[in-house]
Amino acid sequence: MIHLKVTNLHKRFGGNHVLKGVSFEVNGPELIGLIGPNGAGKTTLTNILDGAIKPTSGTVYLGERRIDQFPPFEVARAGLGRTFQVTRSFRRMTVLENLFVPALALGHSRGRAELTEQAMEVLEFLTIDHLRNEHAQALSGGQQKLLELGRLLMLDPDVIILDEPFAGVHPRLMEVIYAYIRRVNDAGKAIILISHQMDSIFSLSERLLVLNFGDLIADGPPDEVKNDPAVIEAYLGAEEEETA
Amino acid sequence: MEFPVLFWGVLGWMIFWGVSGSILIRRRYLARDLDTSNATFIGTMAGAALGPVGIAAVWAGTPRASGYLSTALALLAVLIIAVTFSFADPDNICVTSGGFVASQVVNGLIIGIIYGFMALGLSLIFSILGVVSFAHGEFYMIGGMLVYWITEVLMPGVNPLIGVLGACAVAFVIGAVFERLMLTPMYHGKIDRPVEYGILVTFGLAFTLQYFVQAVAGASPVKVQRYVEFPRFRFPAEADLVWIKTSRGSMTLFEQVTISSPRLSAAVTCILVLLALLYFMHRTWTGKALRAVSQDREAAAIAGISPDRMNMLAFALGGMIAALAGALLVQAFSWLPQVGAIPAMRSFVIVVLGGLGSLPGAFVGGIMVGLVEAAGTGCIPDAQKAASYIPAYGMIVLTLTLLLRPTGMFGRRFASGSHGQL
Amino acid sequence: MKRQIPNIAGAAFLLLLAVFPLTYGGADYDYVMHILITGFFYAILAASWSMLSGYAGQFSFGHMGFMAIGAYSAGLFRHYIYLSPEPTGLCAETQFFGQWLVVVNPIGVTSTTLTQDCLRQAMDAWAGSVEVTAMPVLLGVVLGTLMGALAGFLVGMLVLRLRAAYLALFTLGFSEILKATISAEIDITRGQAGLELPALYPSGITLFGRFYEPTDKLPPYYTMLGLLLICLIILGWLAHSRFGLFVRALREDQDAAAALGVNTTKYKVLVFSVTCSMAAAAGAVQGHYVQIITPNMLFLLQMSLVVAMAVIGGIENFVAAAIGAIILQVLLEMLRNSFVIGGVEVDMTIWRLVFFGILLMITLRFFRNGLIAPMIAYFRRQGVAEETVAKRASTVTGPEGGPHRTEAPD
Repeated sequence: MIHLKVTNLHKRFGGNHVLKGVSFEVNGPELIGLIGPNGAGKTTLTNILDGAIKPTSGTVYLGERRIDQFPPFEVARAGLGRTFQVTRSFRRMTVLENLFVPALALGHSRGRAELTEQAMEVLEFLTIDHLRNEHAQALSGGQQKLLELGRLLMLDPDVIILDEPFAGVHPRLMEVIYAYIRRVNDAGKAIILISHQMDSIFSLSERLLVLNFGDLIADGPPDEVKNDPAVIEAYLGAEEEETA
Repeated sequence: MEFPVLFWGVLGWMIFWGVSGSILIRRRYLARDLDTSNATFIGTMAGAALGPVGIAAVWAGTPRASGYLSTALALLAVLIIAVTFSFADPDNICVTSGGFVASQVVNGLIIGIIYGFMALGLSLIFSILGVVSFAHGEFYMIGGMLVYWITEVLMPGVNPLIGVLGACAVAFVIGAVFERLMLTPMYHGKIDRPVEYGILVTFGLAFTLQYFVQAVAGASPVKVQRYVEFPRFRFPAEADLVWIKTSRGSMTLFEQVTISSPRLSAAVTCILVLLALLYFMHRTWTGKALRAVSQDREAAAIAGISPDRMNMLAFALGGMIAALAGALLVQAFSWLPQVGAIPAMRSFVIVVLGGLGSLPGAFVGGIMVGLVEAAGTGCIPDAQKAASYIPAYGMIVLTLTLLLRPTGMFGRRFASGSHGQL
Repeated sequence: MKRQIPNIAGAAFLLLLAVFPLTYGGADYDYVMHILITGFFYAILAASWSMLSGYAGQFSFGHMGFMAIGAYSAGLFRHYIYLSPEPTGLCAETQFFGQWLVVVNPIGVTSTTLTQDCLRQAMDAWAGSVEVTAMPVLLGVVLGTLMGALAGFLVGMLVLRLRAAYLALFTLGFSEILKATISAEIDITRGQAGLELPALYPSGITLFGRFYEPTDKLPPYYTMLGLLLICLIILGWLAHSRFGLFVRALREDQDAAAALGVNTTKYKVLVFSVTCSMAAAAGAVQGHYVQIITPNMLFLLQMSLVVAMAVIGGIENFVAAAIGAIILQVLLEMLRNSFVIGGVEVDMTIWRLVFFGILLMITLRFFRNGLIAPMIAYFRRQGVAEETVAKRASTVTGPEGGPHRTEAPD
């Protein structure tokens, strides 16, 4: 049973208080949307969950294990995977090799044939199997995004954080990513989806978290959150500031 | 050394507390989530200068430790080493003779100005192209060689100024042509790892230039006449202590400090050219464009500056600066095709110490390295060892800088892409 | 099978090298052998450097420093440590399995009584009644290799946070400090005068039923070739295991590799240790082969040669780098002959290096993967493009349009 528990997470960068006591839990294979205006702390939260930076205070538990002090690679092995806002494929490695990295990092000891088979399955699902022996740098931006999702499938984490998976993606690829999210979710994984595309977030997620200036101001089903006065103010307030 | 135990004991104590301080204070800064880029340096200096007391003080007053404090602590640490040294080795000439020390300091300062000037060229290239030029020493070398060739072989007896100007012009052209031919593919994302490409390709240039000169000019050392001869002069003429006395090739101050004409003329020229360069960078359109490109290539391009032309200019200028340093120093040292290696490394040290890409940093760093070398060569008891260790002094400074404060004194973090990021 | 061509060519090349010393009978036998041995030495350095810099992206300019650590560890070990059945009473010594392990005191080259170290004095006193044994060469080589690995480990730990230009400068600084120290500590290392080492097989060796003198070139030839092969096999095995995959991922994107579960620290330090120990092993063997080591082997020129060989061979393929090193070494020697054009004598001992530098720059500019690696890649990647195109075509013509595949939207 997946259980991610984030308790009272604070993060200060010098005098800048970026996260002010964020707490939430993920129970089971939930599909959660994380939204918030620019500078709300979404990326910081992701980086803390992933282990790239350490929180000032607060804890993160994944199952029984406390992961907030882990380095990123141990977080990944513990079962939390992420994609990056800007695609970061291993550019001069082939598509298949890109997929082998996470699988082998987990201490995969099966034979190469089996590994290739598993990787090909992932690539077929992502509709880029014809590119398997091409270098990742030969792929288009959208294909690289799919490749990054494919790597996560090979890592097979319990909790997946997708940072802006739809940004700059061709509409046709968007369907593939939609299918990916649903399939991974159906397979029993929890997904935290960060996106600025409200349509996608609202149509996909079962639950929404709203961050605003480091505070978690709403947590609930999309319909409820949509009408939450605090959320409306956060978004309208932000717009007012922009126009001012 | 009379009491080596004392000296090495104190040094060991300082190193121990320095390392402890660097670790502890860095942890402290990390735990409090402060910017750690200074923490290691402050921690080390507090530990080295004041031992556990210093670490405790910095620990207690964590966020308040400022740049001034760390500078003061660093100076204190240097002072402690100097005092310990004078107690440990009371007969050393550095301790007994004030005049020798003054002479070393003045000469260190003068040579440091020239070092800083040369490093400036490297820093200029880095700040604009993002390339660490490994051919910098070879530009220095051809600068001297060209002066020799022009003034001794091509046109014997010609004014050395012509030789120096000719050397600068040739180096400028070589720099510009090389940049056009070899470095242009770097800027357009055609190369996967541009920083490494830049290092390798300038390395290739260094190799080629060095052996080309050796093939053409041979491997025997050459030397040119000094450019400036002092008039004979004494002031005050009839006194017990002569304040200033000159002979043809050197000048003596207070009967203690002797400065040779080649070094003095080189340093003065460097300062003049530096002032001209500052005027160029801050008051002319091209100079401002150069600075704009060094801060933000894309923005500069949008503002109508061609970054490609600025790249060419920067590389040529950087090479020319090194060549000028060589052209000025060829009157002081004998010249070989291999002469560039040590100044090149010294320039790397200075540039890292000052902060990669920082022009004032390069100059201040140059003076510091000049002083360190003067202290190292003058005070180490065994003269032969001292001479062998010359290249190492700078490298120790480099290693310490990279470990303690990789951004250097005036460095900024290069966040943009591959430009030598940390 | 076109893909097998590089393997077949490689095997043929290796066979040629293996039988060469047995079949070649020219008058310049020793000279040719010497060039090839030096070629293998550079090949080990170029191959391990290309693993470190090209494969793992850790751009080090200190490789010759590690080589020197290997050579000097072996040399100093041999020079200062002896086994004696009797205590000397003069040297620092300790009991060691019924023998006495004697550490000779350094007296340096400036001493007027060059041979009057403590052991020599003790031996004079014994007047030949006690047999003192020197340490075996092999042990020194192994020790040198281990010291190289240790130094690589420490440097790897120190440079964890440094990238690109900073890493290059730091490693260059490391190498320079080492050179200065070796030059300056004359008492111990004998400085520029050099430390003399015994031959690789100090009492000769019998190979193929024939006895070879210590000065013969054949035993060191096979030793160096064997070391090169061992290094290449280890590198090849590493490159094809997860190690190779991870260090390439590290080179491409360290953060992404860490986010996918790769312990980046561990692999960075590991790649430093492995490649530096290879450089050290090569240095130790070469030191015993040429029988003298000086700080001059740390000159930047030596590093330039290794870098240039690896780049011209192919910086991201260690086999290509090794082959490039051997070919270039032979080529450089062949170009030594000076000639006269129009009454002007062209001194090729220098001009060949000029051409070498130009070749390096041209290779970098126009053949980014080197000159030999692309040939291997050409055969290895046979059919990749065809496969991609074929699969794409099958999408269009397949039954019911086949599975939809994502194309690059242009």
